[in-house]
Amino acid sequence: MKELFRVGGDCPKTNYLFLGDFVDRGYYSVETFLLLLALKVRYPDRITLIRGNHESRQITQVYGFYDECLRKYGSANVWRYCTDIFDYLSLSALIENKVFGVHGGLSHTISTLDQIRIIDRKQEVPHDGPMCDLLWSDPEESVDGWGLSPRGAGYLFGGSVVMSFNHSNNIDYICRAHQLVMEGYKWMFNNQIVTVWSAPNYCYRCGNVAAILELDENLNKQFRVFDAAPQESRAAPAKKPAPDYFL
Amino acid sequence: MEVVVDENELKAAGARRLEDGRFGLRIHGWEIESRKRSILNSSSLLEWEHRLGTSHMPEMVFGNSSLTLKHLSTGTVIHFNAFDALAGWKKEALPPVEVPAAAKWKFRSKPSQQVILDYDYTFTSPYSGSGAVEIQAEPEIERVPKVKDDLHWVDCEEQIDLVALAVKEPILFYDEVILYEDELADNGVSLLTVKVRVMPSCWFLLLRFWLRVDGVLMRLRDTRMHCIFQDNEKSFILRQICWREGRLEALSSKGYPYDAASYNDPSIVGQRLPIVMQKSQKLLLSDNS
Repeated sequence: MKELFRVGGDCPKTNYLFLGDFVDRGYYSVETFLLLLALKVRYPDRITLIRGNHESRQITQVYGFYDECLRKYGSANVWRYCTDIFDYLSLSALIENKVFGVHGGLSHTISTLDQIRIIDRKQEVPHDGPMCDLLWSDPEESVDGWGLSPRGAGYLFGGSVVMSFNHSNNIDYICRAHQLVMEGYKWMFNNQIVTVWSAPNYCYRCGNVAAILELDENLNKQFRVFDAAPQESRAAPAKKPAPDYFL
Repeated sequence: MEVVVDENELKAAGARRLEDGRFGLRIHGWEIESRKRSILNSSSLLEWEHRLGTSHMPEMVFGNSSLTLKHLSTGTVIHFNAFDALAGWKKEALPPVEVPAAAKWKFRSKPSQQVILDYDYTFTSPYSGSGAVEIQAEPEIERVPKVKDDLHWVDCEEQIDLVALAVKEPILFYDEVILYEDELADNGVSLLTVKVRVMPSCWFLLLRFWLRVDGVLMRLRDTRMHCIFQDNEKSFILRQICWREGRLEALSSKGYPYDAASYNDPSIVGQRLPIVMQKSQKLLLSDNS
């Protein structure tokens, strides 16, 4: 996170939009989220945080944030307060009415931005419905319209869906996160949607680069691609396995 | 924690580290090497999709990582890599596993046109290692291609001596290589790894496919290989394959917890899962020379 600010410039000199999934990976979920929150409190109109599918009570209990809070504070209180705050995060963001930011993707029940504005979002992320779709769905090359994941839950959407959404809402493109991209960002469907991934060397072992999508005052875009901070400047434990007498 | 192996221990065991930045060692006629690299980039992924005939791949494919064990005198090579494992996944093509939310989704309003994808998103593979016997007809001439022959694993009754393996001999070489990994879009985990440890008397490895679909099932497919160093004709590798699988409903009816968080460690969970298939096999090393 500190490396990201080093590359992108400090807040409030640079405005930030974070696309969710602040917790559950790495050793410092609590610190990461609390830093973002502190910035939000100090510079509320300079930093925007939207909700990812990991900003949920259920998911954080499985994927690490709950355990991390318990380990670091000895009780679940910090986790409880944080997950209460998660309920207040926005589901999406609009940059100059032209770039639509969301964590996952689109929903077949949402065709206009106003339909997002009226969602009662102050709740745990539900297992289905429009709020769930915005945080969970993925673009997919192999479908044109809508696809249902083989898991039986989770939508995939194709190029024509993106094109009609962008057209009817008069936006240039959608900017989303949610899926690991080795190169830090990935355009799909003729530059109608871009996935931006800003965690370098994901899980301390993937070796991927990360990216920030930088927009100037005229919405000219530039990707800032960056590597993980050098090992010695981080307090992350080295990732060499200790030999064990496995059987 | 960096693995520090005592030089004297290596020497006493007649082992030597590999040169040229390679990670591994030579011991009793074996060359054992692990390679750990980054995940595949987008263009390599596309190429793999094409070669495998699929448009879906695990989120993290460590396509250039591998573990190789080569018996120099017989040309026997045991190899572990993501490509062959994924080829196995493609071939087995298990039906998809529905997640708990799927029940609710059946009653959702549906898009006017909807395609239902039906590939095995768990990337379950029957993979138990690759291998070949590489016979170089005329070793002096480098251009002569190596003749390759399949390994002849023969079913047997013998079991890997786990008691002997529990003895804490010094570990001369140890590594764990991830071949592929997927988070099932936050519905669990699918992970294929291979671990190896080399001691003065033998090498032992565990290839493990571990799957947890949250709220639904767990699947563990283990392949263990053990080779005791012997300098005679009777040298062999024992391989034991054990597949376990259990649905969460069945586990919780036995009193085990229902929540996914309790099922993070396959080596603990594994014992509770019923065995669905197991076999022992043997590979003679002298036969192939």
